Amino acid sequence: MSLTINTTINGTPVSASAEPSTSLLEFLRDTLEYKGTKLCCNTGECGACTIIFNGKPINSCVTMAADAIGAQITTIEGLADGDTLHPVQQAFIDTGAVQCGYCTPGYIISVKVLLDRTTKPTAEDIEEAVSGNICRCTGYTKIVDAIQLAADRMAGRS
Amino acid sequence: MDYFEPKTVSEALALLAQHGAEAKVIAGGTDVMVDIKYKEEPGCLVNIKKLPGLGAIQANGGSLRIGPLVTIHDIETNALAREKLPVLWEACHQFASLQIRNTATIGGNICRASPSGETLAPLLVLEAKAKMAFPDGEKTEPFTSFFQGPGKSSVGAKGLLTGIDVPYPAPGSHGVYLKHAVRGAMDIAMVGVAVMVTTNAAKNSLQDARIGLGAVAPTPIRATKTEALLRGKPLTAALVKEAAAMAAAESSPISDQRSSAEYRRWIVEALTRRGLEQTWKAATGKEVV
Repeated sequence: MSLTINTTINGTPVSASAEPSTSLLEFLRDTLEYKGTKLCCNTGECGACTIIFNGKPINSCVTMAADAIGAQITTIEGLADGDTLHPVQQAFIDTGAVQCGYCTPGYIISVKVLLDRTTKPTAEDIEEAVSGNICRCTGYTKIVDAIQLAADRMAGRS
Repeated sequence: MDYFEPKTVSEALALLAQHGAEAKVIAGGTDVMVDIKYKEEPGCLVNIKKLPGLGAIQANGGSLRIGPLVTIHDIETNALAREKLPVLWEACHQFASLQIRNTATIGGNICRASPSGETLAPLLVLEAKAKMAFPDGEKTEPFTSFFQGPGKSSVGAKGLLTGIDVPYPAPGSHGVYLKHAVRGAMDIAMVGVAVMVTTNAAKNSLQDARIGLGAVAPTPIRATKTEALLRGKPLTAALVKEAAAMAAAESSPISDQRSSAEYRRWIVEALTRRGLEQTWKAATGKEVV
């Protein structure tokens, strides 16, 4: 059986059909062609598919598309303002926090949620916020630098 | 695959009765979605996420009533849970990742009945109770008898967990939840140990000691022989050593990709020792000597 999913993605109302077994990640990538959110472990362990769901970061691979009915969703495509990147995106570029890049959209989403809450994150806040995201290029030092730089810029300190 | 979003508990129970073994209950979906992708699609999915009245945390006299649809993050950010039930709070705080905590429900963690379920050893030592609904009525059962094997619990295929009643520990009680895993975040516990002690009024002897062990038996268990050994005695270094060894002997772990059975027993011993030392210090202000 097919379900009609009426949801809001990056501020735009969207309607499309999905199977009950369709994950929100599959719905985003395969049905709606939002390819920025990445499929990686598909078991909720790596964070590459992180999106903002009603204000909270979640793994879209282990969420039913059906649960998106009526929800407010933000994906990586929703962060930039036209040609101007979000401060978190710009900071990842400026510090060289991107290696292969596959984990990057998930990281940037997790960091955006953190910095929306506080632009003065402690080292512990940063570690906690991205502990559900895995980078297999293992460039964690640069990622932490990027988070700090983005925080400073968003708070007007840099 | 059929799909239902029941609007009431009785409607959900009717669907489970009608579809029998074909039906799978889904809430947060963090386990069930993985099963659908990597194991087998059930004949029908019963999504209970939108059932009303099952998603709140309420103070209820001397206990906290937690709805099964409450997420792990809801518990982590609940002031009463943190103040009154630090053993459960700590397990929720250490649970997987923020992304999973935002989605996974406590009811799902319980009904999954995994031996390593993070909240289960804490619920055992807190002597929490499950409220369940069945086609022929409601039932309340302590979690100490609720778990029957990996994936098996008193809820069975026909029932629904409708509430978790967690009594506040007696005044003067102190508890800890200690988890051993390779990585802090995301890892499933190799061993989880919950320890709760209550001292006598003079604070020189154990009035009660409860030890819950996770991931080291077919179900989460209480180390009841160890608890009996400790009860009524002052906690000395020699008693801690004896109790920790006894707790390890009460466990019956398996070897799997996360660790060997022998290693798990060592960890039960170490975490039980640490748990007793920490809670005794918190309760009495003194180190174990």
